[in-house]
Amino acid sequence: MNSDDKYDAALDLLRRLDPAKAKINLQNLISLEPELAEDLLSSIDLPLTIKQDPKSSNRDFLCCDYNRDMDSHRSPWSNDYFPQLAPEDLAESPFPSDKLRQLEILCNDSFDVYRDLYYEGGVSSVYLWDLDEDTDFAGVALFKKSNSSTTNWDSIHAIEVTNSGNGDYNYKVTTTIILQLENNTTSDLKLSGNLTRQSERDFRVEGNKDEQIHLAHITNLGTLIEDIESQMRDMLETVYFEKTRDIFHQNKNSLVTKNESEKTAQAEIVKGLQNL
Amino acid sequence: MSETNFDDVIHDIIFDSPAGEIQEVYSSLTKIVGENSKDTLLNAVEQYNLSKNIPIDVEGNRTLLSENNKDGSSRYFDPINGVSFTVDHLNRKAQDIQPYQASNFDDEKKNLYQSIVSYTKDAYPGEVTVATYPINDTTIEIIINSTKYNPSNFWNGDWRSKYVYDTNTKQLTGDIDVQIHYYEDGNVSFKSHKDINQDGVNDLVATISALETEYEKSLDFSFTELNEKQFKALRRRLPITRSKVNWGKAIGNYRLGRDAAEGA
Repeated sequence: MNSDDKYDAALDLLRRLDPAKAKINLQNLISLEPELAEDLLSSIDLPLTIKQDPKSSNRDFLCCDYNRDMDSHRSPWSNDYFPQLAPEDLAESPFPSDKLRQLEILCNDSFDVYRDLYYEGGVSSVYLWDLDEDTDFAGVALFKKSNSSTTNWDSIHAIEVTNSGNGDYNYKVTTTIILQLENNTTSDLKLSGNLTRQSERDFRVEGNKDEQIHLAHITNLGTLIEDIESQMRDMLETVYFEKTRDIFHQNKNSLVTKNESEKTAQAEIVKGLQNL
Repeated sequence: MSETNFDDVIHDIIFDSPAGEIQEVYSSLTKIVGENSKDTLLNAVEQYNLSKNIPIDVEGNRTLLSENNKDGSSRYFDPINGVSFTVDHLNRKAQDIQPYQASNFDDEKKNLYQSIVSYTKDAYPGEVTVATYPINDTTIEIIINSTKYNPSNFWNGDWRSKYVYDTNTKQLTGDIDVQIHYYEDGNVSFKSHKDINQDGVNDLVATISALETEYEKSLDFSFTELNEKQFKALRRRLPITRSKVNWGKAIGNYRLGRDAAEGA
């Protein structure tokens, strides 16, 4: 087996095994084949963790593989790594260029307002990094909301913005939302998982000053991410509360007769054929 | 990695798999660990089938595996159809089928089997399999396994209820496990578990039917409650202003507005 086949096999397993145990399953697969570590760690989205930035009044920031260097994470507020790195390590650590850092600050400000309006709590962080072309960049916008240790929403938007010339920009966003819900009061019920979706849109960016371009980028990215999250919220609601419940009743149903569930099955076949 | 650790990791991965996807998990896992570890994988699949009471195809009839229909170390029996067999655990098919006369399996147990089967016909639209295996003179194991697999639409569902009934003490103990897996553009799992412990059970089938109906209804209620209370509290459909965010320079006005409201 070559390593690509092993990687594909690992992705297939992570799509089938219990999503609530994604971290353990990831560790198990890496222990079986250590060569998979780097590829899997950079492509599998796990629930975000929270650290505090001691240089910004201990304000919370989100951590994932994108803002990690060794065991430290860069804060979007002070632009420093915590726990602090030794000077010789820090010299090697990734930072956005000064110009991109200005856009990063603006993104963090704007998405913080967005977070407040939609999540009414939680934490947000945006990290950007430079690409080869001066006008292009990549990044990640993160949102986390927890109402208890068993109720969590994690949004991870991986962003790529490329200049296609003449002021036209292409925005590519790959979104994963990890949603975990649990009910232990009426009956022991656990709903957990993740959905992923890719979106792409082109926008014209007017102006040639950095400030104008930055403002256009944040407006375009904000509009795009707001639309994606709204659509995915509906999708999550449908899958978690209608789809899985419907499948459950196709297994066990004291109320619906066999005929009705056969009708549903037929409708699914028709739908499947239409999608071909 | 040591051999024990390796076996444990394989066991964990196999046991974490949805019952309808064991072949796919086996095949992907083999690609990672290699054909040489086949025996370890197959051994874990056998333990899985036994512990989850997986239905086995015995010449067109389905029989559930359990510690209580074991005949020797690798043979199982089906008291209803009077056969014993070995199992191809990966394909869930019986092999080397031979006639078998189960001891302890009298008309009373046969009748119990029939009445549970007729209860499940109405309550389970899935592919349902029932087992009633004698444990000793006064206790009997009852298992209901219902599956509905639809991999072409990226979902699989399992129900298993498993009880031990003591005819002397009239006590019914057991548990119910539900697992639904939906994996189109993602990986979503719904799991539920309930322990059962009921005294004074005289009408066994009516009691099981009532318990399972009640559980089904409580799950329905939980779904609604999770949606209404927890999900809606995580992220709003729209901001309280009922309109989408006004991006750009003006976004700072939201903060000004809020600070002004809080100051007032």
